[in-house]
Amino acid sequence: MSVSAQAAPRAARRLPPAGTTLLAWRNLAHDRARFVVTLVGVLFAVLLMGVELGLLVGFARTTSGLVDHTHADLWITPAGTTNVDIAGRLDERRRFEALAVPGVAAVDLLMAQFAFWRKPDGGNESVSMIGFNPATRHGAPWNLVEGAIEDLQQDDAVVVDRLYAGKLGVGKIGDTVEINSRRARVVGFTEGIRTFTQSPYVFTTHTNAQRFTLFRPDQTTYMLVTLAPGADRDAVRTALKSRLGRVDVWPSEAFARQAQQYWLITTGAGSALLLAALLGLVVGIVIVGQTLYATTVDRLPEYATLRAMGAPNRYLYAVILKQAAISAALGFGSGMALVYAVEFLMRGGSVALALPPWLVGVLALLTVMMCALGALISIRRIVRIDPTSVFQ
Amino acid sequence: MNAPSVPIRLAGVGVTYGRGATAFAALRGITLDIRPGEMTLLLGPSGSGKTTLLQVMGCLLRATTGRVELFGRGVEGVDAEGMAALRLAHVGFVFQHYNLFPTLKAWENIAIALDIKAVPRAGQREMALELLARLDLADRAEHYPSELSGGQKQRVAIARALAGSPQALLADEPTAALDGKTGQSVAAALHDLAHRAGVAVVVVSHDPRVEPFGDRVLHLEDGQLIDDRRPTRSPR
Repeated sequence: MSVSAQAAPRAARRLPPAGTTLLAWRNLAHDRARFVVTLVGVLFAVLLMGVELGLLVGFARTTSGLVDHTHADLWITPAGTTNVDIAGRLDERRRFEALAVPGVAAVDLLMAQFAFWRKPDGGNESVSMIGFNPATRHGAPWNLVEGAIEDLQQDDAVVVDRLYAGKLGVGKIGDTVEINSRRARVVGFTEGIRTFTQSPYVFTTHTNAQRFTLFRPDQTTYMLVTLAPGADRDAVRTALKSRLGRVDVWPSEAFARQAQQYWLITTGAGSALLLAALLGLVVGIVIVGQTLYATTVDRLPEYATLRAMGAPNRYLYAVILKQAAISAALGFGSGMALVYAVEFLMRGGSVALALPPWLVGVLALLTVMMCALGALISIRRIVRIDPTSVFQ
Repeated sequence: MNAPSVPIRLAGVGVTYGRGATAFAALRGITLDIRPGEMTLLLGPSGSGKTTLLQVMGCLLRATTGRVELFGRGVEGVDAEGMAALRLAHVGFVFQHYNLFPTLKAWENIAIALDIKAVPRAGQREMALELLARLDLADRAEHYPSELSGGQKQRVAIARALAGSPQALLADEPTAALDGKTGQSVAAALHDLAHRAGVAVVVVSHDPRVEPFGDRVLHLEDGQLIDDRRPTRSPR
């Protein structure tokens, strides 16, 4: 059988697109300049929303990163603690009181305290010392790309993140600096551990951290509770609060959420990002609305003809909504490509842009909503169309 | 109930635009039946109410007074969507300026009409090509309206009006924008359609070239039907 003979039945079987889809596509494609304006409008709206919401999620993850990666069941914090980066002191001996509470399997100590980092070539930076128990590794650095946790056993050893190596004036394992006037030596590097405060995390053992931050040996910042198998977390939490008195006891995820709320809502940082994303949405609605409306007005005689032919209103709405959907799909695709490009460029920076799959879904939904709202203006015009106008 | 052999029946129909001192009666007391299988011409001077009458017959405009029936069903109290559904089920329109969709090819213009009537997509292209072939336009199926002559456009418009086999076809000045020979061929096509397919064809026209094709001629003046006659000679 010849190639053309084989192709013929395939072509015959191919269904034409639905009439509304065909009209929607041709209406858009016919006026390319206007279509390009629509797509650019959607693209920039998606870019703006994607970057701002991506930054919001990135900041939220950054503010709670330490809590999220510590894997404790409960956090015991000094009373009134609002976030993981800024806290008072706890008496280490209270650990034994916590261990006496039924349902508590283990209690670890974790330090988080600001300190001054003196660079090898002079100049100071503020850092956040994180001291953890190397035996249990609760609070240990994640994404370690150079060195080993075991190397932190040495009493001057610290691990920093590659993102802040330049800022801290170090470049390789073995570089030495001063923290609060005590000698410190870099024994490892992590990758991608950011801080919202821009004071980089410097990981070391709890004992070292006490020395670097001039805490007394019986002082710590947090206690991390591991529950016994089958223990009721809420009951244990209540018991700990009752037993320990002037402390706060948080489920891990609640403490993470509290840290996010503190930095993003209390400081207004999140509101600014949300406002910018909202602006993107509004700009998108206006541009899509205007260009779709202009296309609709240009084609009013055709809509009137369809109506005169007996097309129900929903058929006309479908044409307009499909125009909006096509604009949304193409604008979203190209906009997301740019958002991913921005995310790629920001990977090496101290500001994180996070694009989890659920956020991509939210952006897709917002884009569809934006285009549908833009289409509403056109639909309102179509509702009033007079089919007798085809005779004028 | 009316016999289905009367596709369109008007009884004492009047249409008045505006109210009070500015009210204008476009149609007054029109009573007539439109029958299948014949081509009815609506003639009259400008402003006599021909197009208004066509719009009332096609359920595009509501009569202010009187009763309109389409295939035995009264249209009083039917809402805009209901009127659209009646048009879709029973009526095809041909317009003076063709009103083809400029972004669609000839066959796609017809496929849209089939699509509105919920004809399955699998058969749309074949049916559209068949209709074009009936009007000697098979070789123009893939052409856009801008690539067709006036006569070809009007024949595509007729093919589109026939999509879904309506029982009534209403045409508003279908030959007005066409040259003599083309106008005659379009009028002949409409006449042929009435006689071969049994469609009730109503044509509003100023064009004397169309008159010989009418099986029945209605004459309007000042919104009133002043003459209803059947010429003794037909072109066929």
